[in-house]
Amino acid sequence: MFTTEMIRLFAVVLERDNEVVTETLLREGVIQFINVSNIEGETGEKLDDVKRQSLVNDLIELRRSIEGLLHPLKIYPDHPKEIDLENRSPIDISAERKKLSEIAKKRETFRERQRLLQQEILKLEDIKRQVDLYGLKFSNVKLSSQHSFITMQIGIVAAEKRDEMERSMKELPSVVLPIGNEEGMEHLLLISMKRDARTVEEILHKVGWHPVELPKEMQTIKSSIAQDLTKKIDKLTENQKALSDSAKELVVKEVERLKEVWVSIRVNELFYAVQNYFMRSSRTMIFSGWLPIAKQERIEKKLLAVTDNRCYLEWLSAQESKGQEHEIPVQFTNPKVFKPFQMLVKNFGVPQYGTIDPTPFVMPLYLIMFGLMFADVGQGIVLSLLGFGLSKIMAKKKDSEGVLTFLSLITWCGFSSAFFGLLFGSYFGAPWFDALWFDFHGIVAGHGSEASMISNIYDILAITIFFGIAVIVMGLLFNWINLIKQRKWLELLFDKGGILGGWMYGGGVYVGSYMISHDYSFPNATIMTLLFGIPAALLILKEPLHLLLHPESLSGKGNVFAAFCAKLPGMIMEWGVELLEIFSGYLSNTLSFMRVAGLGIAHVSLMVAFFTMAEMAGGRGIGPILILILGNILVICLEGLSAGIQALRLNYYEFFTKFFHGTGKLYAPVSLDSRDY
Amino acid sequence: MAGPLTKYAFVNATLRARISKLISDDIFLQMAHAGSLEEVLTLLRETSFSDLEELYEKTGDLLVIEQKMLIDEIALYTSLEKYLHKETVQFVKTLLLRFEIDNLKNALRLFFDRVFRKRPVENLVHYLIHRTIYYEVSLDVIVNANDFGEIIQVLSNTPYGAIIKDNRSVVEEEQTLFRLEIALDHFYYNRLQEMIHKLSKKDTALASRLIGVEIDLQNINWIIRFRNFYSLSMDEAIPLLIPTGNTVDIKHLKSIYASQNVSSQLEHIVKKGYPGMTTLLTAPTSDASSRFVLIERVLDEIMKQEVKKILSGYPFTIGIVLAYFILKGSEIRRLRTIMHAKQYTIAQERIEGLL
Repeated sequence: MFTTEMIRLFAVVLERDNEVVTETLLREGVIQFINVSNIEGETGEKLDDVKRQSLVNDLIELRRSIEGLLHPLKIYPDHPKEIDLENRSPIDISAERKKLSEIAKKRETFRERQRLLQQEILKLEDIKRQVDLYGLKFSNVKLSSQHSFITMQIGIVAAEKRDEMERSMKELPSVVLPIGNEEGMEHLLLISMKRDARTVEEILHKVGWHPVELPKEMQTIKSSIAQDLTKKIDKLTENQKALSDSAKELVVKEVERLKEVWVSIRVNELFYAVQNYFMRSSRTMIFSGWLPIAKQERIEKKLLAVTDNRCYLEWLSAQESKGQEHEIPVQFTNPKVFKPFQMLVKNFGVPQYGTIDPTPFVMPLYLIMFGLMFADVGQGIVLSLLGFGLSKIMAKKKDSEGVLTFLSLITWCGFSSAFFGLLFGSYFGAPWFDALWFDFHGIVAGHGSEASMISNIYDILAITIFFGIAVIVMGLLFNWINLIKQRKWLELLFDKGGILGGWMYGGGVYVGSYMISHDYSFPNATIMTLLFGIPAALLILKEPLHLLLHPESLSGKGNVFAAFCAKLPGMIMEWGVELLEIFSGYLSNTLSFMRVAGLGIAHVSLMVAFFTMAEMAGGRGIGPILILILGNILVICLEGLSAGIQALRLNYYEFFTKFFHGTGKLYAPVSLDSRDY
Repeated sequence: MAGPLTKYAFVNATLRARISKLISDDIFLQMAHAGSLEEVLTLLRETSFSDLEELYEKTGDLLVIEQKMLIDEIALYTSLEKYLHKETVQFVKTLLLRFEIDNLKNALRLFFDRVFRKRPVENLVHYLIHRTIYYEVSLDVIVNANDFGEIIQVLSNTPYGAIIKDNRSVVEEEQTLFRLEIALDHFYYNRLQEMIHKLSKKDTALASRLIGVEIDLQNINWIIRFRNFYSLSMDEAIPLLIPTGNTVDIKHLKSIYASQNVSSQLEHIVKKGYPGMTTLLTAPTSDASSRFVLIERVLDEIMKQEVKKILSGYPFTIGIVLAYFILKGSEIRRLRTIMHAKQYTIAQERIEGLL
């Protein structure tokens, strides 16, 4: 029910035991370290940092470089294990950097070749685009378009000059296509850009190009040229892919080594991350941190064992760490089944250390709210299957923990929906079996059973109001427990969520029920005074009492009485505002729960509407069935979403706000499988 | 006339969600520390730029990556149209002119290099964006033209034709595109001002302020360039500046131009509008180029402050749309800087300075 009890370790170890102690702390992985930078040495000498940060930064950079090579191949090395820690050896950072840079350099040569091919491809694509857009200009044929920027010519060159010609033309966007050869002479089709005419002419002159007359059949060559260009582009793309594969292969060959190096770097990184919290005197090392009290004995034994009792360990309870309450980390210790609901709590915030962890209460409350708003056996089963099925698929993916938890929440919501569906007799919106509690559909449709305790919409609204009152009262009780634990007596009595606030809320609930059962008349004045007058009058003492307990807030302002009198109008104003806040706040908090009934009624109404539409479509055959299927899908998506959001909203704003301060710090010790360090 | 809630409620929610997904400073820092360009691209995996890694693996060509980023940035503007009210769509479309003008400038530079400077341009021609951004502009004709006449003819149905015609003789005489490019920028800002005044009163005030800051940045940038690279006199330079800035009016621009120390003049202006930022300007710098980088950073900070004001203010205005474009533009610029720096193996400390 409460957050895990923590204890603080303050340790002094000898310099020579530094390494074994660090290894032990990392292996156990239970300490959340705190900085001890302000602590003076016993002799008054100033303690020094261990100065590992730049080393850790170098290791992080190196690790990320390896990840940069491995992650594109979807390779994610496993976290280090104990054996890796035992075999830990220092990393030669510059040597590893050199090796990585060699891989990077080799890969860069492949990329450069890819880039050159890309330029070839772009040139050809440009020609192809222009052929498609504007057509071709033949040197002896009429222009196909006045905007054509391409020129084409046929000619012959000596076979041995062909390579030279192709090499020279490569610099320009051009295509040289062989169309035949005869007696050592090559017949070639040359496509180039008009703008390069002068350069092309020079090249052709150099290689001894003899233009020949363009055959008539070549005048319809556009489509075949487009095909040739496509083939050339495809060929270049293939070459590019081969180079890309070779670049990948470079890393693939090194994968095992890189994985090993990654693990080794990670171990060292964590090792030095632990040491970063150490302070050093001339012969000793000092560190401090929080751990769950249940781990105290084990860690003490381990530290004494590895140092042969050459260490000083001091244990400080949370109560003894005055002024550091906000620094104490909070550990959730809920069973796995609560994980989706713990996620909802964490989304709101981490509870303060030593206060109530609401997770075990959120589970039933959230599910009841969801079930009341979305009660249907069929739809609930669909929701559960959806959540379960998707979680099976997602389980194979990396880093899907958050999604899996969310899918688990959907599965739970489906169960709740099916359970309440049984109570209300709803099966895909149809009353296939009798309701175990009351017929929700019948009531909304206007034919509820008079024999049932719940026979009309008002009864349903009343259920949700009572439920809301129970939730708010629970929130108030939790607040009182937290305040008692924290010994905040003044807040316990005078806080909006304290005893006086609760007293007035109880009074409000009594007056509300009295008025309903007494034809909307108020109880007599004595009762009203008892329920509201007395607590309201007591509430005015809040500020004076605070000043009495903290007189320093009045000091320095001359005469204390005069200072108090000066504050009096403000206090009265504050009292009035607080009273207003209590009355309006609790009233709106309680009525807010009517949304549960509202959403439930909307859910039933939507299903009734789809059944009516199916009736209107003939009642039988494929059409009405389709309407009902689509209706159910729509309701599952739309209503499921809004019921989920409203249940969350009620928990956060009507329940949590009564007692929960999400200002805690989550417990995150440095361990071998840490992700946050 | 539609109310602000009707016009901006949905787009406000959509853009705020998108803003929350912009690359964080922490990731940018990690990128600056990355060992190679490929490592930078790996870090982009969880961002909206995740497809760049695959593209680079396929082509090995950074220019292709940049072209893709530009196309995607343009698509951001057009994709927003469906969320915008018709009164705002035209304004957002006008913002696209900036991309078109930049693209046109690139094509003109290639034409100019090929025809006037007789330089080969083959390797750069393919990175132009050939799709229509705002007007129908045939970049093929521009790049392949033999003289300005052909370009003017093909652009005669767009406002650019007249601008090029007006500046043709000076470009040919001075053998530089400088004045033509300035004229195109002026056209953009004038058109933007026209569109701003068609917005509602509140939107007009807000857009004028933000675009005004952009103009301030542009003017100060130009002043530095006019003096350092073109050695223009004040009489020549001042008419080339845009008079509709936010904080820096013509009087200030003149004093900045006349002063030997641009940053001290800038300090006066910054003190007035953005008092928290003066300390940035007093940072020691060793040479003119680092001073220039510093001034650019300060100007960038001013823009960031304006965006912050918008994001924490009344949400249902054109401000959220402009703020998003500014933030996204800045994200893309930073990313481009890092990628280039990694490609050319620039030292990590310098990259951090450039960010």
